[in-house]
Amino acid sequence: MRKLSIRAPFVISALLASAWSPVTAAPSGDAVVIRAGEVIVRPGEVMKDVDVLVIDGVIRRVAAEIEAPEGARELSGAVVCAGFLDPWSVLGINATDVSFTSVTPSTRTADAIDPFGQEFQKKQALEAGVTAVRVQASHRALVSGLSSVMSLAPNGDEGLIASDETALGASIGLTDPSSGGSSFAMGADGSFTLVESGPTPMDPFERISQVDKIVGLLEAGVAYRVSQNAYAVDLKEWEEAIAEKVKELEKDFKKAKKDRDKEIEEAKEKGKEFKEERYKEDKAPKAPKYDADKEVFARVANGELPLVVEVHRTAELRNLLEATAKFNRLRMVIAGGTEAAPFAKQLAARNISVIVNPSPMGEGAFDEFDGHDVSLAATLAEEEVTVLIGSGGRSAGASRDLSLLAALAIGGGLEREHALAAITSGPAKVFGLTSHGAVEFGKQADLLILDGQPLSTTTSVQAVLVDGRVVVEPKK
Amino acid sequence: MIHLTRRALRTMKNSSALLSLILFAAAPQASAADGKLVIEAGKIVTLTGEVIEDGKIVIVDGRITAVGKDVDAPWDADVLDASDLVAYPGFVEAITSGGMDRSNENVDIAPFLDVRDSIDPVNVTFENYLRSGITTINVQQGSGCVIGARGHIVKPFGRTVEEMSVKPRAGMVLSASPKRGKSRATQAQALRGAFTGLKRYLEDTVAAAKAGDDYAKREAMYQGREPDEETMKGRDLDCSAWKVEGMKLVPRWEIDEKQAPLVSLVEGKIPAFIYCGGAMDVRVAIEIAESNGFLHKTTLVVSGDCDRAASWIAERGIPVIITGSLTRSEINEETDEMEDVFIPKAYADAGVRFALRSANSTTQSLAYQAARCVSHGMSREDAMRAISVTPAEILGVAKRVGTLTAGMDGNVVLYSADPFSVDGVVQRVVIEGEAVYDRATDSRVRHLEEGIAPDNTEQVDPRAREYAGDGEGDDGDAGEED
Repeated sequence: MRKLSIRAPFVISALLASAWSPVTAAPSGDAVVIRAGEVIVRPGEVMKDVDVLVIDGVIRRVAAEIEAPEGARELSGAVVCAGFLDPWSVLGINATDVSFTSVTPSTRTADAIDPFGQEFQKKQALEAGVTAVRVQASHRALVSGLSSVMSLAPNGDEGLIASDETALGASIGLTDPSSGGSSFAMGADGSFTLVESGPTPMDPFERISQVDKIVGLLEAGVAYRVSQNAYAVDLKEWEEAIAEKVKELEKDFKKAKKDRDKEIEEAKEKGKEFKEERYKEDKAPKAPKYDADKEVFARVANGELPLVVEVHRTAELRNLLEATAKFNRLRMVIAGGTEAAPFAKQLAARNISVIVNPSPMGEGAFDEFDGHDVSLAATLAEEEVTVLIGSGGRSAGASRDLSLLAALAIGGGLEREHALAAITSGPAKVFGLTSHGAVEFGKQADLLILDGQPLSTTTSVQAVLVDGRVVVEPKK
Repeated sequence: MIHLTRRALRTMKNSSALLSLILFAAAPQASAADGKLVIEAGKIVTLTGEVIEDGKIVIVDGRITAVGKDVDAPWDADVLDASDLVAYPGFVEAITSGGMDRSNENVDIAPFLDVRDSIDPVNVTFENYLRSGITTINVQQGSGCVIGARGHIVKPFGRTVEEMSVKPRAGMVLSASPKRGKSRATQAQALRGAFTGLKRYLEDTVAAAKAGDDYAKREAMYQGREPDEETMKGRDLDCSAWKVEGMKLVPRWEIDEKQAPLVSLVEGKIPAFIYCGGAMDVRVAIEIAESNGFLHKTTLVVSGDCDRAASWIAERGIPVIITGSLTRSEINEETDEMEDVFIPKAYADAGVRFALRSANSTTQSLAYQAARCVSHGMSREDAMRAISVTPAEILGVAKRVGTLTAGMDGNVVLYSADPFSVDGVVQRVVIEGEAVYDRATDSRVRHLEEGIAPDNTEQVDPRAREYAGDGEGDDGDAGEED
């Protein structure tokens, strides 16, 4: 991941340069200039008839009539916007790891990324404008481990992972697809019939106990951090006391030495064995034992890492919101939230974002989303909840349809700007991807060239740039 | 000293009928008088680019002293007449978990164990190695681990591991592909955890040592005596990837035996063999090796579609050992047609140095695997290098084995013809100057070819047995590793 801090001096020099003259002497490197009818800098902020200058994978300038540096590639299109970011995906994750559940909080999805797998799905998603995905393996585990953000068009192994520890994943009340099965039932005449049953939803009490377990883990994380801090304080105190003691000892050393010599002499005279005086001091405090998993929950409880909880039903949502209210630094994100509408005000007040999966009904729809209302995103957004749109984190192929899912939410009443933010600047902000999600100076050049407004079903993606490289060539 | 022991044993063999019973089938056929042997070969292929017709190989005290057409041989040396045979250096098996009583441990991280305690000298595997002209074998734990036991390089001759030993503590196996009960992510987590755990352990050990020293100073001050002289007992950690300050305070022998082998690993003192079952494992393997400073001592043990990551491997300049099948099929995305990939060629084209491994469902011959490379259009030199010089380099024994030149160990394989042709069979094998194998007296070969069972066994004509399948589809490779 590129660090913004490195670019900071550039901001000043570029500003100075642009104040005097249009940029002519461009820095060397791979340059691309896109002549756009319209640039969506970020949802709601549009610049007409401007050009975008990209050098070395970074957006350097968005302005009218930029002179192309020598050797720069020139592209043009009706609309330029930031590449789509799927905040809830499994694209590019090794299939076994997706369903595997024996993981711990410190297991990293980054380690389950298969850079060589699912090439076809990745290509399709890229052609549909999805340039990066937040991937979470083991979604069915109570705690699924650390998710990552992965580029769909990395340059070799460099740039593959944009963020390796993006958030901690968890889930409550998900149906085990392998539950249920078949059994024999004996009829009145003594014959047996095979009875097939689908996966059984999790017992309500078990679902609630899962909330308790997550809260318990958060508490353990807090306790762990408290013990670490207490240790640091104790250690400092002890060290100061010891330093004091050493000063004293140094001062008294001459006397101590004299005394010792005298005692040795005396002991000799009396024919006794000389014994050293016993030294006593306070024992040093003991460091708490390192625990990688508790450390993760400590970071989460302290707001250093978001916690993404997949939860759908009212009872679990209510319990989760109540039980986590006391962790005032926690940065929680709800994934799914099928029945989250009644909690909209509370979610907005607590700044909890929701990743909605406006799932199409019918064959292949996921159980947990039964009862999903396409107006959920709109309802939440109306109450000023940050809404993100994701492909559901179950099927690798689903990421391709991200913009269609956003369109579905628009159909359900979500404003177009909100819908675009839900798959660009929104995920970038919620997951701390500072160089993604907008078309402006200093951002990584993950750009789409469209022939019309984004998220319209009649618009198609003309070309895609990732990290400044043209990875989907212009059509025609 | 080894030499003396062997001679003593030889005397015992000659005098004791009882002992000869427990010798394995390929007993020594000729002994070099006073450790001197001259092989007079019809042709010598040195694998340094030189081919000598009617030449001599002189071996004194186990080492080659001269190779050439007109070289002086000691007057009292034994002579092995091989005028109708072709001499090659003994081939090198880059890695195997054969020859052990079991190939894997239950513990995830087991470098405190050593395969020498598991090697079974009378295991038929070693006899087969000898029979196919392989004279240097890197025995390592199988892939079912996170970090395996320490390996041992042996020769396939001797009745104890000590006799067989070429190089002890010869690196260790790590696995980037999941062992049973783990996923890719949890395997990587365990692997990474081993090294972060090591760093934390070393830091704690240093802190404890420092606390102890400081306490001793204060105690001395309080008691009115001069503090004890500080002695530098340890030395700095020589790891290029991360540092632990104050390692001078910790003598190396105080380091826990479970952690000590990992210290050697991160200091780049021993080779690492990292199993990769597929291309996605390569990324994790490289990352672990790079972030812990032993990438330059790393060899990837590759199978499956790892060759898809060949350019990544080439970029790091590390070699691979190809295991499993030498071919695989993949669908060409553009033409949508099934294409066969010949794996060694994929690595060679990417510029990756590779070694082959003998394991195969039908033979245990490295020469056969190399011959397949030639049949797929690779050069004889490249193919030959993959079973001699390259594995020798990978194992860090290139100054001892891999070519027939003065100074090398006296390991010579005498073929009846070109080893890449169907009628090229191993007739004689010499290891460290001792003629240890002769096909003419190989009882198992005779049993197979002539139906003559070895002494004291039931006479059964193998050809009269019922046909029980040709082994195809049995997945012969998989058996060894898991």
